[in-house]
Amino acid sequence: MTYLFIILYAITLIYFALSERTKKFIWLLAIQGLILFGVVFFSLNEIDIFDFIFILLETIIVKTMVVPWFLNKVRKHNQLKREHEPYVPVFYSIIVVILILMVSFLLSSYLNNGNMHTQYFTVAFTSIIFGGYFIIIHKNIFSNVVGYLIIENGIFLLSLAVGSVMPIMVNLAILLDIFMAVLILGLFINRVGDTFKSLKTEYLSKLKD
Amino acid sequence: MLLIFFIFSIILCLSVFLLKKKIITNLLSKIFLAAHSFISINAYLKINQFDSPYYKFDSLAVLLSFVLSILSVATFYHSYLYLKRHKVSKRQEANYYAALMMLITAMTSAYFAENLAVLWASVEATTLLVSILIFYEHTEEALEATWKYLFICSVGIAFAFIGILFLSMTAGNNGLTNLSISGLISIAKLMDPLWLKISFLLALTGFSAKMGLFPLHTVAVDAHTVAPPPISAFISTTLMNVGFLAIYRIFTIVAHTEIIDWVQNVLLIVGLLSVFMATIQLQRVNHFKRMFAFSSLEHMGIVALGLGAGGIGFYAAILHLVFHAFTKASLFYQVGQIHQFFKSYWIKDVSGYFKLNPVGGLSVLFCFISILAIPPSGLFVSEFLIFKALFINNHPFVAIAVLVLLSFIIYTILKNVLHLLYDDVPVGLNFENVKVNQYETISQFVLLSLVIYLGINPPLFFTNLINGAISVLN
Repeated sequence: MTYLFIILYAITLIYFALSERTKKFIWLLAIQGLILFGVVFFSLNEIDIFDFIFILLETIIVKTMVVPWFLNKVRKHNQLKREHEPYVPVFYSIIVVILILMVSFLLSSYLNNGNMHTQYFTVAFTSIIFGGYFIIIHKNIFSNVVGYLIIENGIFLLSLAVGSVMPIMVNLAILLDIFMAVLILGLFINRVGDTFKSLKTEYLSKLKD
Repeated sequence: MLLIFFIFSIILCLSVFLLKKKIITNLLSKIFLAAHSFISINAYLKINQFDSPYYKFDSLAVLLSFVLSILSVATFYHSYLYLKRHKVSKRQEANYYAALMMLITAMTSAYFAENLAVLWASVEATTLLVSILIFYEHTEEALEATWKYLFICSVGIAFAFIGILFLSMTAGNNGLTNLSISGLISIAKLMDPLWLKISFLLALTGFSAKMGLFPLHTVAVDAHTVAPPPISAFISTTLMNVGFLAIYRIFTIVAHTEIIDWVQNVLLIVGLLSVFMATIQLQRVNHFKRMFAFSSLEHMGIVALGLGAGGIGFYAAILHLVFHAFTKASLFYQVGQIHQFFKSYWIKDVSGYFKLNPVGGLSVLFCFISILAIPPSGLFVSEFLIFKALFINNHPFVAIAVLVLLSFIIYTILKNVLHLLYDDVPVGLNFENVKVNQYETISQFVLLSLVIYLGINPPLFFTNLINGAISVLN
């Protein structure tokens, strides 16, 4: 069952490469949160009950509901609809995400050491690299934060891939979520939008020599 | 003990934040500083003992905690002057002090953390807290710098997290079920070298944003530029020490493995690239605070070279870190005074400072003698030892390359400083609102004297602390 969720997660990454609308980004993030819940539900049933509940709450409450709701609020506040002109055309982005997936698959096979879930690792690594790529190709700080959340979801999956012996690491991933959602999103995106009347990164280039 | 300190600090911060009364803020700030100094002394008295499973009073932590205690006192004093000059409201003042106290608490937690997970969480907390202070002036530039600092540091720290995850995996394969640093050191030899290499690279990249080291050094430079001068002093010193400590903790683990030579080569490359980037950027710099920020990049590069060189380089790297902290903090404190006269940080607008403020000018001169590692500065001793280590340990080409780059750096900085001190005073300068307390330079002279004294005649407890810090590498 978990394989199905892993495949679905990989498909969401391809959809991220395909999409140009900010609303779709938010939906995809919510879907990723739901998929991560599924992964946790079907794979981590042997861990301590307290950790288990904590992780479930994190995926369903934070990733699937709170963060998308908050992002949507920010999107409306800044009247964002369509992400204009990413640096790389959509077609190339799809090819890039597939290439990253292939490289990740080869890498996880190479690094496999028995204690690692290779399928989780493949998709987690793809998510992290793709998140970085997503940040680079978009000119908008809202999309940059979406890219960061893709990285963060990848890290969550990675902590499941390698951290099953250490639930504290999984909890730490949650900490990263909360800091991220509350502070970076809450305090600054709106402030940037209000000050510069735009969320384009080109406006954030006053500081130079 | 530390847990009590953290709870006590949080109560103090909340009281300052909620009550917003000037007298209470001043009183609680002094109590906080006394409590922090007490923690440093107590940690020294209980050296190498565990405070809890997550915290330990080890030599490096104690040393950096002492540096933090000293610089906290000076930073609070200069913050008081800064806020007084800018006539801020009680609410703004309370927010500033509350954030500063929490930042110091988070840094203390990072210094004493004996568990990589606690260390990581503390570093994340410092990022969030310092961003409140960087944004303090609420200008467009402050917003830009804060956004970049928060975003890039968060991405960087996320990568460091991946490094720690990989470390946890390879530790888990060898039966370790927590991330205690001493536990990791004890099983270091058994860990998979490939995963260790990946972990180190990710942690180095991630924490380089905090240490102000290549490749993620740019965010720290922007933060320096816009933050209030006392906060720039903190970012450039104690906060960079947090980044160093995080990298050093991972370094102590890999130092017991077969990959140590590879790791040291990586540090040599990173150190060399940091000095190179600082040299390039300094050639076109036209803002004083950015110039100091790139100087910090250069010094952090030299610290990385010390670790990369090994031998006496380990000792010299920590020595350099301490001296750089005192000197750079003095410079940033003085920047507050310079800004009072010229109302600008741009190099072209700032000249003839010696005529306007002779005591401040003298302080600037001593600061630059010290930061350029000219004798009798303690930084001369540490840099000399690092170059000695590079030559002794068969890295002569690295040493020569760095020496050449340093020549360019010294020339550029000296040119700008001579302009600042001795050129003609700009025409039409308005001195009406200049509020400089004649005693505020004392803190800089005290810190600079400390750099000279500790360099020429270091007391036994100081050298013991550094030797204790590097003893874990053997």
